[in-house]
Amino acid sequence: MGMQGDFFQLLKEQGYTLGVPTAVGAGQALTNATTILAFKYRDGVLVAGDRRATAGNMVMYDRTDKVLEIDRHSVMAIAGVPATAYEMVRILEHSFKYYRRTQLQELSFDGKLRSVSKLLKENVPAALAGTGAVVPVFAGYDMEQGSAKIYFYDILGAEFEGVEYAVSGSGSPTIRGILHYLNTWGEQPLNALPQEQAIVQALRLLTSAAEFDSATGGVNREASLYPVVKLITEAGVQTVPDATLKPLHESQVVRYV
Amino acid sequence: MYEEPYRWVEAVGNRRQYLDDQFKQGSPVVALTYEGGILLTTVSKGTPKLYEIYDRLALGGMGHPTDLEKLRFSLLEMAHVEGFNRSPSDVTGSRLVKYGIAPVIKQAFEEVYKAPFIVRILVVELGLKPEKDVLLTINYDGTFEEAIGCATLAATPTVQTKMLSYLKEQMRATQSLDQALNLALRAWAIGSLAHQEEEADQQTEAKPSANGGADSSASATPSSDSLMAHVRKVAGERTIECAVLERQAPGSSKYRSIKQADLSQLLPKMFQSGVAN
Repeated sequence: MGMQGDFFQLLKEQGYTLGVPTAVGAGQALTNATTILAFKYRDGVLVAGDRRATAGNMVMYDRTDKVLEIDRHSVMAIAGVPATAYEMVRILEHSFKYYRRTQLQELSFDGKLRSVSKLLKENVPAALAGTGAVVPVFAGYDMEQGSAKIYFYDILGAEFEGVEYAVSGSGSPTIRGILHYLNTWGEQPLNALPQEQAIVQALRLLTSAAEFDSATGGVNREASLYPVVKLITEAGVQTVPDATLKPLHESQVVRYV
Repeated sequence: MYEEPYRWVEAVGNRRQYLDDQFKQGSPVVALTYEGGILLTTVSKGTPKLYEIYDRLALGGMGHPTDLEKLRFSLLEMAHVEGFNRSPSDVTGSRLVKYGIAPVIKQAFEEVYKAPFIVRILVVELGLKPEKDVLLTINYDGTFEEAIGCATLAATPTVQTKMLSYLKEQMRATQSLDQALNLALRAWAIGSLAHQEEEADQQTEAKPSANGGADSSASATPSSDSLMAHVRKVAGERTIECAVLERQAPGSSKYRSIKQADLSQLLPKMFQSGVAN
């Protein structure tokens, strides 16, 4: 099997299964309560997510990181059941490394997308049982083509290219409309925004999502809790530090009305 | 017929002789710690001999390329499965070597009906702190040794000892990457030259008119310049391969294979025309 450099296959040979379907009580839908977004800006692609994790009405945790770096040039933002989503990220991380190290070349961007679909497909029984649905957004920089790319998925593993932007999670309907409006009638299309403006828009969008969706965390200034914002450019993935988010939020997002 | 104990001992003895012969054409491998991490280098022809195994693990090898590939894959498999099932920090070179591939190599060596692995392997592990860096060598019979600071693979134990004593004598407490690379290549040249001498000695010994005085002149250490000149001469037809595990590298993977273009900047001026082509 080594020839194929397929880490997931290797795990399966060792008896590993992802997402075993478990019956849960009727009507207990484990929701995809969150907001994640990705859009292309001038230098690459921006991926952001709020930090709240909920279980029903309860806020479980306010410092979750839902925008996860898989390798130097790709990021997966996750909405859905966190246990499964984190496991998928761990598998992907190891898969890409394993492929690179065994085959002595990087897995192509298309190959990476395929790995995500395959994991989601593997997870369908658990997704349908309601215990393991994951609806991710995968974004990265395709080094071969020299361009940034965004893909989003449904729970069954179908892959769609988000040409300019993609959103997922319970807060996403709110900002999907905003993104469409901004991109079509804004002062400039999203993909022309310079880095700082792109970050400001991401903060505004997540704040809007939090306004209308109780499961989205938004920004909590008192606890200096800011969303996770990552930028993917040709140089790799870069996490925007809170020290940068804070002044931008104060000067361009907060409105004292 | 190998059921008889003395036959088996004889067969294993033959095996050693056979295996020792297989490394005659091999190029030595040098591993050396420097201020930023660990450096691995060799001069290879055609197939690469240095590889990435895991986040903080690298491999260097001598011997048959297919055998090396087989063992490289089992190291990769073990490392990644362990890293996934437990955590990346549980993947250590010494566990992979001692409980992973060394027993497999030993078994193949002693099962005299089957083919042994024609390999000598070097596994280096970058610790979180410099004092935790580990360098492990495994011989074709499964014996392994753990070393600190520097380690080598060579065609014979005598050559290996020569290289190691040169490294230990010349090593500084802290050295930059280019200093380490230059020293490692000089040590490689020591190995390569010593090996050539051994070969030549064997040929003269085989002939009836052997000249006994050749040995005494060979024991003097050649100058740095002449060692580098040897490297340069050999590198004309082969490739200098160099890889590092860098403690400060961004991200989890610390392995970086140094590209030919970057390599020429680390080498002394005399190489710059030689390596560029």
